[in-house]
Amino acid sequence: MSNDEQMDVLIAVYLFEDLGRKDYDGVMDLAGEKAISVQGVVLASKDEHGEMKVIEAGDHAVRKGATMLGGAGLAVGLFAPPLLLATAVGAGIGAAAGKFAKHRLESGIAEKLDDVLPDGSAALIAVYDSGDADKVKQAIPNAIRSSVAQVDGKKAKELKAGLEEASAGLAG
Amino acid sequence: MADTPIDRSSLPIRRPAFAGATKKTLEGSAPDWNQAMHVTPPEGAPNVLLVLIDDAGFGNPSTFGGPIQTPNYTRLAENGLRYNRFHVTALCSPTRAALLTGRNHHRVGFGMVGEFSGPFPGYNATIPRDCVPWPRILQENGYLTGGFGKWHLTPDNQQGFSGPFDRWPTRLGFDYFWGFLGGEAGQYDPLIAENQKMIGVPEAKDGEQYYFQDDLADKTIDWIHKVRSEKPKTPWFAYVATGCSHAPHHVPRKWSDKYSGMFDEGWDVMREETLARQKAVGVVPADAELPPRNDAIPTWDSLDETHRRLYARQMEVYAGYSENADWNIGRIIDAIDELGELENTVVIWIWGDNGASMEGTLTGTFNELTTLNGIPLTAEQQLGLLFKHGGLEAWGDEQLAPHYSAGWAWAGNAPFDWGKQVASHLGGTRNPMVVHWPGGIGDAGAVRSHYTHVTDVGATVLDLAGIPMPDSIDGVEQQPFDGVTFADSFSDAAAPERHTQQYYEILGNRGMYKDGWLLAQRLRRIPWDLDPEKLRSFGPGWNPDDEPVELYYLPDDFTQSKNVAADHPEKVKELSELFWAEAEANNVLPLLGGLTSFFGMVPPIPRESTFVFRGDIQNIPSGMIPRIYNHSYTISADLVIPEGGAEGVIVAEADHLGGFALFVQDGKLKHHYSMLGVLEYTQASETPLPTGEVSVEMVFAADAPKPATGGEVTLLVNGEPVATGRMEHTVPGRFSGYSGMDIGRDNGLVVDLSYADKAPFAFTGEIKQVTFDIAPHLSEEDQQALHEHAEQALATHAASA
Repeated sequence: MSNDEQMDVLIAVYLFEDLGRKDYDGVMDLAGEKAISVQGVVLASKDEHGEMKVIEAGDHAVRKGATMLGGAGLAVGLFAPPLLLATAVGAGIGAAAGKFAKHRLESGIAEKLDDVLPDGSAALIAVYDSGDADKVKQAIPNAIRSSVAQVDGKKAKELKAGLEEASAGLAG
Repeated sequence: MADTPIDRSSLPIRRPAFAGATKKTLEGSAPDWNQAMHVTPPEGAPNVLLVLIDDAGFGNPSTFGGPIQTPNYTRLAENGLRYNRFHVTALCSPTRAALLTGRNHHRVGFGMVGEFSGPFPGYNATIPRDCVPWPRILQENGYLTGGFGKWHLTPDNQQGFSGPFDRWPTRLGFDYFWGFLGGEAGQYDPLIAENQKMIGVPEAKDGEQYYFQDDLADKTIDWIHKVRSEKPKTPWFAYVATGCSHAPHHVPRKWSDKYSGMFDEGWDVMREETLARQKAVGVVPADAELPPRNDAIPTWDSLDETHRRLYARQMEVYAGYSENADWNIGRIIDAIDELGELENTVVIWIWGDNGASMEGTLTGTFNELTTLNGIPLTAEQQLGLLFKHGGLEAWGDEQLAPHYSAGWAWAGNAPFDWGKQVASHLGGTRNPMVVHWPGGIGDAGAVRSHYTHVTDVGATVLDLAGIPMPDSIDGVEQQPFDGVTFADSFSDAAAPERHTQQYYEILGNRGMYKDGWLLAQRLRRIPWDLDPEKLRSFGPGWNPDDEPVELYYLPDDFTQSKNVAADHPEKVKELSELFWAEAEANNVLPLLGGLTSFFGMVPPIPRESTFVFRGDIQNIPSGMIPRIYNHSYTISADLVIPEGGAEGVIVAEADHLGGFALFVQDGKLKHHYSMLGVLEYTQASETPLPTGEVSVEMVFAADAPKPATGGEVTLLVNGEPVATGRMEHTVPGRFSGYSGMDIGRDNGLVVDLSYADKAPFAFTGEIKQVTFDIAPHLSEEDQQALHEHAEQALATHAASA
C-alpha cells in the first residue's frame, strides 16, 4: 500500500441481485481471511417492484479497528433506516438508530442508486485500502460495470467525496 | 353474372354485352340484370386465410419440434398438413413480394427491402405493372380482399400523405388494409395505416396497455364479420402478416414469464433438443444430423453467468412474443369456425419469412436501431445501456426496442445453419408451412415433403379458386408466375413435385437448387456485420465466383450438413452456370454483395431543403421526415402564447430510444435529443416564453458535415439566444424504424420521459407553422458527401429491416 491513508471507494453494479451477493461474499471472504483491509461493504438492491433496500452490510468481518464509519456504520451512514430493514443491521435498527444517527451522512448515495439501478439489479459499495484494489477486482467477476474513486483519509467528508466521484463514474 | 360465362383472361373483367333490349319506352324493353351485377368468383371458390409470421425459424414453433408452444398452429397441422420443405427468400420484403406476386423477388424489384429503392430493375422496390400481385386477381374476380399487419412493400419515401399510392396495399389488390407499411413496428406504439391514410398510434382502451398483435386479430375478425354481414356467401381472402417475431421484441410479461427458466441450458442444448423433437414429430428424417457447429456463435459454456441469464431472458421474451402470435391467429381461426366457415376456408400459415434474425449481434441489443445505424457497441456497453434503460426487467417492455442474441436465431433455425439474409443456407430459406382445409385434405395430420417455394402460393390459391392467370391486367400484358401450384398435394401425397429448380440470392449470398442438388455460396460476411468497410469489399473488383463453394444433395442430406462439392465438380460447374443464367433472367444482376450506395451510386440529391409544416400534421413516417442528419440544421416555429402561458410539444420525432423534441415545459423552451438512447442531451431556457406572438428556433451548428457529427445547439426566442449546449454525437442514419414525427404533440412513446405522464403533451398555445431548414451553409461537395452517407445509412438499415 503506497499510502496508508489512501482508500478506494468502489461501486459495482449487477444485473442480477444474487450475482451481486456472490461478489459481496467474495469480498467478505477476503476480508475474513484478512487478505484485504476493508472499511465497509454494503450490498443494496432494487427489487422487481422498484423497492430499494440494503440486503447485506459488512458489519462483522471488517478489519478490526476500522475508523471510517466501519461496517454497520457504513451501511447506516449511507442509507436511511427504512432501507436497512432486511439486514442484520436493520434488525437492531430501532434500538440502534439513535446510536448511529450521528454517523448519518448526507451522501445522497441512496438516491443516486435509486436513479441508476433498474428493477431486479444490485449494487455493491466497498471501501478498502487502495493497495488491495487488484484483489478486490478479482473478487467481483459478476459486476457489469464498476467505478472506483480514491480518497485520502478516513473521514466522512472524504467518503462522501469518494462516493460522489465513484457514482459519477457509473454514468453514461 | 352467375349464369353467364365470364371471360376472366383479361382484368378488370369487361361488363358483358347487353343481352336485353331497349326501346323508346319500357314497352318492349327487356332487362338484363347482368348489367348491374358485380363479377363473382367461380362456384365453390373457398375462402383463403394466408398467415405470415415474421423473423422466425424452422425450429421455433412446437408444431415443428421447436420449444415455443404453438397450440393453434399444431391443431391446424393435426387437421391439415405440415410442409417441411417450403422455402422463402431469406429477407423480409423479398419474401413478401414473391409471396404476393407469385414471381421471383428480383423480377418484381425486390432484391432488397422497401427502405432501399435502388437504381437497377431487380432492386427498385417497385412492383412492376406487368407483375400485378395475385390478390388483385382475386379482387377482380369477385373475392372480398383484406390485408392486415406488416406490409413492407411500399417504398420508404412513398408512405406519406402525398403518395404516390400505387404501391400501397389498396392499389395492389386489397379492398381494405389495416397495419403498418414499413418493416417493423413497436407492438405498444405502432404507426398504423388504414387503407390509404396514416391514422396514427392507437390508444389504449379500458386502462389496458395497447398491444398490436391483439388489435391485429381484432381488426381481422372485425373485417370478416363486417363483410359477412353484407355478403354471406362471397368468398373472402384475408392476408394476415404479424409484426411478430421481428424486433423490437415486445410482449407483456404474462407471456414471457411462461418460459421462465426454460432456456437456461442455452442455445447449444436447444438445438439438440429441437432436433430430437423434430424427429419425433416427423418433420425431420430420423437419420438427420445437425450441421457442423457454427464458429461465429460462442458456445453456451463459454459465457459467464451474467450473460447466460441475460441471454436466457432474451429468448424467454422472444418465445412469449411468438406464442402470443399463435394465440392471436388462433382467435381468428376460432372466429371463422364460429361462422361455420372453417370447413371451406383454406388456411395457409407460414411460420417465418426468412428464418430467425441474427441481426441482434452476438450480445443482443437494448435498441436494434443502434446496430442499424452502424453504431458498434461492445458487450459491456450493451450491458451498461440495458442497465440504464430499465435492466432485464424491461426486456419486452416499451422502455426498450430489443433484439435477442444471434445465438438464439441460430438455434431457432435448427436443424439448419445460419439464418436471415443468408440465402445460401436453409436456416435463411426453409420455414414451416401448415395448410388446413377440411374440405380438401384427405390425410389430415400428414407431412408433405414436396419442394415448395413462396412463389408457389399464388398459383396454388388461384388453382383452388378456379381462377385462371390473366393474360393482362389494366391493359398491361402480365408476366407468368414463377411459382407453380401444389394444390393437388393437399389430397394426394404422391402428387408430382413441380418446383424442381430455384435460385436464391440476398445481398450476395446465393444458392442454386435443382433436382435435389443445392449449390451454396455464402459471402464472407456474417449477417450482423454492417461495417461499411466490409460492405465495400464487395464492390468493383469483387469476383463472386471467388467466394467459397458448397454443394449438397438434399434428398440424402435434409439438414445441409454434408458438403460434397469436392466430389462433384461437374455439378458445381453446372449449377454455377445455371445460377448466372437465372440471375440474368430474373434481374438479379448486378449482384450486390454490398450496396450500390457504397460505390458512389446514389440518387440525385434532393433539392428541397426547406420544409414548412402548418396545421394539424401528425404521424409523418420515420423515413419521410426532413433529413437533419450529419450536418447543421434549424427548426423554427411561429407560436402564439396565450396569457398565462402555454406548454406542450412543438415538434417531436420518434421516442426516447432515438428522437428529438422541441417543447415548452414549465413555460420554458426546451430541446431534447436522444442519440438512440446511448447519449441524451437537453437544452433549456432559464426564463419563460413571453406571451403573444413568439418566434422560437433551435439551431444546430455541426462541427463538420460528417456522419454522427457533434455540434453546438442554440435555442433562440424572438431572435435572442436563451440557451446553448453541446451534442457530442448525433444520429447518423435514422432515429427509428417505425415511430413518426408530429407537430404540436408527441404521439406514441415520447422523446423526453420528463413529460411522459402528460403524453402526448399537446401544445396548449397556437402553432402557426414549424419550419425545417436542413441545408444551411452546405457546400456542394459536402452536400454530395452527406448525401452518399445518407444513402449508405439507409441501405445499411435496409439490409436488416
